[in-house]
Amino acid sequence: MNLDFTPDEQEFREEARTWLAENLPKGVRPPDGQPMREFDLAWQRTLYDGGWAGINWPVEYGGKGLNDIQQMIWYEEFARAEPPFTLNNSCTFVGNNHGGPTLIVSGTDEQKSFHLPKILRGDAVWCQGFSEPGAGSDLASLGCKAVVDGDELVVNGQKIWTSYAHVADFQELLVRTDPTAPKHKGISWVICDMTTPGIEIREITTMSHVNDFCEVFYDDVRIPLTNVVGQINDGWRVTMTTLGFERGTAFMADQVELASVVERLIAEAKVRTGPDGKRPAIQDDEIARRLALARAEVAALKAMTIAGISRTQRAGVPGPEGSMTRLFHGELHQRVYQLALEIIGPDSLRLTPVDGDGWTGPYLQSFAYTIGGGTSDIQRNIVGERVLGLPRVK
Amino acid sequence: MDLLPTPEQEEIVASIRSVIAGNHVTGEPLTDALWSAAVGQGWFALGLDESLGGVGYSLVEEVLLFRELGRACVPGPFLATTLAARLAATAGDADLAARVIGGEARVGLAERYDAERFSVLDGDGAALILLIDGDRIALLDAATAVDATSIAGFDTLVPVSLVAGLDTAATLAESNDAGALALHGSLLLAAMLAGMARAVTDQSVSYGIDREQFGQPVGGFQAVKHRCADMATRAEVADCQVAYAALAVRDGADDGPFHAHAARVVAARAAVENAQVNVQNHGGIGFTWEHTAHRYVTRSRVLANCLGTTAAHLGETLTAAGPR
Repeated sequence: MNLDFTPDEQEFREEARTWLAENLPKGVRPPDGQPMREFDLAWQRTLYDGGWAGINWPVEYGGKGLNDIQQMIWYEEFARAEPPFTLNNSCTFVGNNHGGPTLIVSGTDEQKSFHLPKILRGDAVWCQGFSEPGAGSDLASLGCKAVVDGDELVVNGQKIWTSYAHVADFQELLVRTDPTAPKHKGISWVICDMTTPGIEIREITTMSHVNDFCEVFYDDVRIPLTNVVGQINDGWRVTMTTLGFERGTAFMADQVELASVVERLIAEAKVRTGPDGKRPAIQDDEIARRLALARAEVAALKAMTIAGISRTQRAGVPGPEGSMTRLFHGELHQRVYQLALEIIGPDSLRLTPVDGDGWTGPYLQSFAYTIGGGTSDIQRNIVGERVLGLPRVK
Repeated sequence: MDLLPTPEQEEIVASIRSVIAGNHVTGEPLTDALWSAAVGQGWFALGLDESLGGVGYSLVEEVLLFRELGRACVPGPFLATTLAARLAATAGDADLAARVIGGEARVGLAERYDAERFSVLDGDGAALILLIDGDRIALLDAATAVDATSIAGFDTLVPVSLVAGLDTAATLAESNDAGALALHGSLLLAAMLAGMARAVTDQSVSYGIDREQFGQPVGGFQAVKHRCADMATRAEVADCQVAYAALAVRDGADDGPFHAHAARVVAARAAVENAQVNVQNHGGIGFTWEHTAHRYVTRSRVLANCLGTTAAHLGETLTAAGPR
């Protein structure tokens, strides 16, 4: 047990801090559409040009090949630099954290050499195509159908909750290629070019006033068989690899960022008038205690993140314990923004963007934190069954 | 950076576990056999420097020890005795330290009860009293403490007396760094609480697997499974923060005190909440005296009021210098 950073890690922190101070974009991230896409891709290009793209990708695929501790340092320095956007909210998230890493593990040489540089350089946006109206928490029951026709798959069906589909170039798409097999055995993971004829995208407005949530309809969409990642009908295994990254480090940026959100909220509570209309909010006992608890809990969240890294280093792969971190983080994130709305009082009348220094937009967005990437209820199932060994019963 | 025990630390834990398992039954009073074994393994001086007569490990290994004491819900004056050994040794009273480390002088824990009186835990048979009063921590001669009244202990394995005459009791040693000693104690306490949070999670999980209703193990029902998952998460939160804080304090980090207070807060909340939920998970048997579930309920409440209340530590968590 130790809290020491190696000389390499310390040097890395200094480099990251210096580079971020000089290169972080100023101004506001456009809230929607092509301007948002261009903003996010420009940042990815800046990362690429500066040699910071793919920090968690292996060097042989153009990444920096950094260890998990260095990733955490990167996220800490990113949060410290007070960026005008959140990393996990970027439309480059799926490419960097899902699609790219999945290709690295399971893709063919052609798939890797075509797609990976595009993701790293900021030339392509990826979106996810997993959930369906009838397959949410029960993802393996998905029904979007794909039939082999010559050297192509013909896809018919629907996906939903696809963030950034309307600005994406490619999609990691799960389709049912064998409807007769058991539900986990008939799924394939394919790369879908979003410009293919037959794709219709409808934007769904979220409760946080964001339009990047989409549903995608497929009408005889033809996808070359060479776009299948892994084998036909082996998509569930490929998917589990992808979801393993979620359990590992994909949410580390959010977790690190929450610590600075709490410090910012404490600063707000010192300058805002509290519930008695006279003293600063922080002098209200209940607010002070809830802030103190949030501060203690984000510290513990970081400790959990480090423990998770330690565990992954020993086991080689992220374990199911990561679901405890996800569960704790999601609910803590919500508690922080719930408290924020009480602290800002009348300013909670004003709607703010989901990105930036405001509190009401991020509060509305916080509801996603116990739903997306596996609901809290699913996380509790995983903890109960795979960490604790409780029986799986219908 | 690594938050998991090293192989050597795992061996220490295994050895502590086997000593506890061989000499203690959860729910039963402290045995002389365990006390002797503790002395034999140097528990009261585990984290003390060898130059001070200690074993030469650090706060981190002491934290691992106290986590095990919490897990098995071991009663007895382990915390006050360990702090007393450190106080006497660092105050330069080697003879007194040796008596404590050797287990001859057991130590009760005195904290302010009201304006006139102090509560003393584990005062029965104690030769010394560790007095914690505001910024002062001192070792008193228990024989000179007068006007003590025993009260019925909320935790029947933790004897409690109220003492009015502690002001006149003879001081044998005075802490020269009460702040550091209190912080040290908070972490050992947090470790015990974290261990308790884990132990009751394990109890609930075992019961959820063994107990069948409606033709299936009750742990298969999400109502129970999800409570267990929440218990495990709280225990994990506590364990991780306690480990981080122990390292930060050991290393003398600027944010060490913050992390220690935070650890004390999350560990107490985890232990109290988990102990309560554990009773519910066991249904009728959990409500019986025979079952050990209630031991964790009362012990976690008693410990959560030692060395400053959880609310007091929460206050410190907000004002202490945080991570940069």
